[in-house]
Amino acid sequence: MKQFFSFVLKEARHILRDRRTMLILFGMPVVLMLLFGFAITTDVRNVRTVVVTSQMSPQAQQAVERLSASEYFTITATVATPQEAEQLIRRQRADLAIIFAPRHEGLQLMVDGADPNMAQQWTNYAQQVLVNRSSSVITSKLLYNPQMRSAYNFVPAIMGMLLMLICAMMTSISIVREKEKGTMEVLLVSPVRPLMVVVAKAVPYLVLAILILTTILLMAHFVLDVPLVGSLFWIVGVSIIYILLALSLGLLISNIAQTQLVALLLSAMVLLMPVVMLSGMLFPVESMPQVLQWVAAIVPPRYYIEAMRKLMIMGVGIHEVAREVTILSLMTLFLLTVALVKFKTRLAD
Amino acid sequence: MIKYLIQKEFLQIRRNAFLPRLIILFPIVIMCVMPWVMSMEVKNIRVSVVDHDRTTQSQRLVHQVEASRYFIFCGQEPSYQAALAQVEHGTSDVILEIKDGQYLIAANAVNGTKGGMGSAYLSQIVASAMEKQVDGKTALAGNGPQGAVLFLYNKHQNYKLYMIPALFAIIMMLMTGFLPTLNIVGEKEAGTIEQINVTPVSKWAFILAKLIPYWIIALFVITISLLLAWSVYGITCAGSLLWVYVLALLLALFFSSLGLIISNYSDTMQQAIFVMWFFVVCILLLSGLFTPTRSMPHWAYLTTYVNPMHYFIDAIRTVFVRGGGFAAIVHQLIALLAIGILMSGWAVQSYKKNS
Amino acid sequence: MANAIEVQGVSKMYGRVQALEDVSFSVGKGEVFGLIGPDGAGKTTLYRILCTLLLPDAGTATVDGFDTVRQMREIRRRVGYMPGRFSLYQDLTVEENLQFFATLFGTTVEAGYDSIRAIYSQIERFRDRKAGALSGGMKQKLALSCALVHSPSVLFLDEPTTGVDPVSRKEFWDMLGTLKERGITILASTPYLDEVRRCERVAFLDRGRLRGIGAPEVILEQFRDIFNPPGIERRGAGCVAAPQQSTRPENVIEVEHLVKAFGSFHAVDDISFSVKRGEIFGFLGANGAGKTTAMHMLTGLNQPTSGTGTVVGYDIRTQHEQIKKHIGYMSQKFSLYEDLTVAENIRLFGGIYGMKDDEIARKTDELLERLKFDDHKNDLVSSLPLGWKQKLAFSVSIFHEPGVVFLDEPTGGVDPATRRQFWELIYDAAARGITVFVTTHYMDEAEYCDRISIMVDGKISAIGTPDELKRRFHQPDMDHVFTYLARQATRSAD
Repeated sequence: MKQFFSFVLKEARHILRDRRTMLILFGMPVVLMLLFGFAITTDVRNVRTVVVTSQMSPQAQQAVERLSASEYFTITATVATPQEAEQLIRRQRADLAIIFAPRHEGLQLMVDGADPNMAQQWTNYAQQVLVNRSSSVITSKLLYNPQMRSAYNFVPAIMGMLLMLICAMMTSISIVREKEKGTMEVLLVSPVRPLMVVVAKAVPYLVLAILILTTILLMAHFVLDVPLVGSLFWIVGVSIIYILLALSLGLLISNIAQTQLVALLLSAMVLLMPVVMLSGMLFPVESMPQVLQWVAAIVPPRYYIEAMRKLMIMGVGIHEVAREVTILSLMTLFLLTVALVKFKTRLAD
Repeated sequence: MIKYLIQKEFLQIRRNAFLPRLIILFPIVIMCVMPWVMSMEVKNIRVSVVDHDRTTQSQRLVHQVEASRYFIFCGQEPSYQAALAQVEHGTSDVILEIKDGQYLIAANAVNGTKGGMGSAYLSQIVASAMEKQVDGKTALAGNGPQGAVLFLYNKHQNYKLYMIPALFAIIMMLMTGFLPTLNIVGEKEAGTIEQINVTPVSKWAFILAKLIPYWIIALFVITISLLLAWSVYGITCAGSLLWVYVLALLLALFFSSLGLIISNYSDTMQQAIFVMWFFVVCILLLSGLFTPTRSMPHWAYLTTYVNPMHYFIDAIRTVFVRGGGFAAIVHQLIALLAIGILMSGWAVQSYKKNS
Repeated sequence: MANAIEVQGVSKMYGRVQALEDVSFSVGKGEVFGLIGPDGAGKTTLYRILCTLLLPDAGTATVDGFDTVRQMREIRRRVGYMPGRFSLYQDLTVEENLQFFATLFGTTVEAGYDSIRAIYSQIERFRDRKAGALSGGMKQKLALSCALVHSPSVLFLDEPTTGVDPVSRKEFWDMLGTLKERGITILASTPYLDEVRRCERVAFLDRGRLRGIGAPEVILEQFRDIFNPPGIERRGAGCVAAPQQSTRPENVIEVEHLVKAFGSFHAVDDISFSVKRGEIFGFLGANGAGKTTAMHMLTGLNQPTSGTGTVVGYDIRTQHEQIKKHIGYMSQKFSLYEDLTVAENIRLFGGIYGMKDDEIARKTDELLERLKFDDHKNDLVSSLPLGWKQKLAFSVSIFHEPGVVFLDEPTGGVDPATRRQFWELIYDAAARGITVFVTTHYMDEAEYCDRISIMVDGKISAIGTPDELKRRFHQPDMDHVFTYLARQATRSAD
């Protein structure tokens, strides 16, 4: 046991001594939370609008006033012809043009369609502001996230990404570093069981992961006002299953990689890219082609992020996430078994 | 003497078992897979319908929902509670409840964009169905003479056209940012940098010799990407290709300098990669690559003035999608050039031959 | 079981390379057994097989009566192993490293202190310093302390004293002697002949085969061509060899009161000396005496804290970039580009010093011919044996005909025959008028120098020709001179 603690202490010292990496490890969640919480929004706001009219009819006047009164649009210019408006949009001086045709009742919207989603939303908003629709029979209700805050969506995603990064990448690199520097040989030829060497390496990262998880949850609650409506017990419980999964992955990578560079690239290419791209963190999985959806089905963070969204934001009970938790547990069991079976107690040739 | 140093860098890249493959395969994989992944296009939204009325009118509406390309019809549910359970279970995204001629649309808005767009689309369908019902006309609510919409540049609302310039940016960033970062730290760890430091090589020559190969790689990579965009997706540049290359070079100047600066200050590869990664994530998220910068709060918007990625993405979309020329991007060009020169100056400054 | 180690017909292949071929020998309990042979002979592979880190392709081996294949855990509980590229945890302090390894082997620093006292006491005052901040030789001493802190029944040491100064090496072998008295079996490999002689028996490995086994003197005699090449005769005589300098001796290096301080610690403490053109100047000193720091100041890698100096006529404080044009440098750590070929490395460094393409091509051919490297012109440097790499690195460092070349322990870990060839190259260079400034831990090499200085505790405590020094301190050879002076040291690290 004494040896075990001495190992953990040594590993903790490695982590604590590398100030810059520490700073990044704790700075990353904080900065990401702030960015996603405040800076990254897809809200329609400050849309730069050009009014195209040869002469201001009262009707046009009224429309313009209504637009500038809304918080979504800012009128930046008034020009005479649609060509001029198009020039402005092309030069990135405006996003939307409202064309009041002379001697006609109607108006036309001209929008920068480069970003289809935003273009669609801008026109929706513009039409709502300009046209009083008699749609009282339709009531829309946005469940769980009435203000459409992106933080609600991203907090679980950040957890999924960072826990994977810290546990898998850091663990694998720290094991491979010992291989590369030659200290692993000494550790293996010591009376200590080889498995304990590795488990002792994982412990500090487990602690670190839990600390970071706590930081994220506290920030989510107190800084970003993201509700933690679900049971805290299950949130932490499912997270720990996920952390174990990530640690097993890290162990597996360290079995394969012989140099730090390979471990880094393996973690970055094989872990990080799929996690960011295919986990439904940024891009909806259900919009992807079928083949990619199959690939996404074996990306573990996908299930974790899904489970966290349900538990934290929607506040459902554990039975509603049973499917995700079962899949995660099975994956953990599988990866851990493979990692332990594959673990080399001798040097690879 | 710089000729010899550049030659050395290329030889080293070529000898590496991994790098040449990475340089060729990476853009290909990214260009072939990512446009499918990085679509924020909202489609395949799953709808559960709770129809209490069971009239012909409501039946027709349900058919319309089924026919829409945005929605997947999940079936009828007997009650709102049952439908909500579906949402909680994650098998449905939007509920449409029809009761006494009133329509309630309830969308799962944990993902704000998806929820918002879903409910907007659904209410458009409902509204148009109702107008047909009431007026018997074909006019649609959103497309009536009152508000005809003209989508400029990206007429087919093709999300890939929007994302492909962003992919250029990402490929450039990873290739010209991370490879130089590993480079100097690698020489430090191998001890060869000490040998270079006792030679009369000037700081400028050494750093330039490190930068130039990555600019050439940048040009190579952007060419592959352009060819792929054309051959796989049929997407071509609306403006002049010259400006695409100029912009790519300027972005490469910035990222390769940033990489060298970080590796000058780092002791280990792990440290360098983590620091680089941190900067890259921040630069990327605040650049307007995924989300419009003008929706940001004021303090966050201020950072875009020093974010080269922001200028790049603005300019490349102007050239590539909107077909703008020099006049449209002159502002961005100047900003990118200024930031690039500043950073490369810093890269030279931070490299110490003598302590 | 009488024998501690029993090796029977062990073979091992790496891909198509035969690392070990049908090796058999046995080592008795409590024996100090040497394993010698050139770089790439298969010594490290043999160690790894005995430590259960590798499986042999054929044959069996037992350690302390346990089979290396089936009884891995029993063996690992009983042996101690110091690999050749043993590296400490750079970000842990000296004491933390030692404590960690002590706990790892189930003992404590206090309990094992006696067995490491002689070496650890030299670095103990730096116990709070990070291992990464120690000089090369100091690290090796700490590594030795870590390896010896417990008392295993069998100890495997893979070239444990590379880069360690002669005095500390003697102390280290004295320590091994006390371990032997406690019944510990020791299997050690070494490139130093004086260490080979301290073994009871040695086995000579060459390209995976066991060529001979027996008492050290017998083996050294039997393979004399390899271990004890005849001394080199200097063609021409010292500094007058350079023809243009015979009338007007000129100082190429001149140093006055040079000091380099790191905080309150004076790594180099007020040294003054000069080196004449065409001279071979040996710069000796114990690990941590300040040799590398002094050399870094002369080559413009480091700024002096105070004092003045000129190298090839330029001021080391202000004109270091000019100096760099006129010097060559070969660092302790091998520093050619491993992923470039021999010719490409030469071309790169020739180009850096502003040589023309045709000049480079012509001189490359000349050089390769002289080194007999013609066949390996397009081989990757990483595929060459260590001795060749060192010869190549030296040739590259004088390729541009510098006024002076600085060599920092150029022959560390190289076998005697290759070292001799290396010194022939040095003599060649000196004959062409290149001044040679060299540090070494081999005292036979010190005898080859025209003049030597011995640094102790950051100061130069003696300077002169080898004969003068031997006479002044009444010692029979340089080894004794060095030991005599270094034992007066009060501090032990830089």
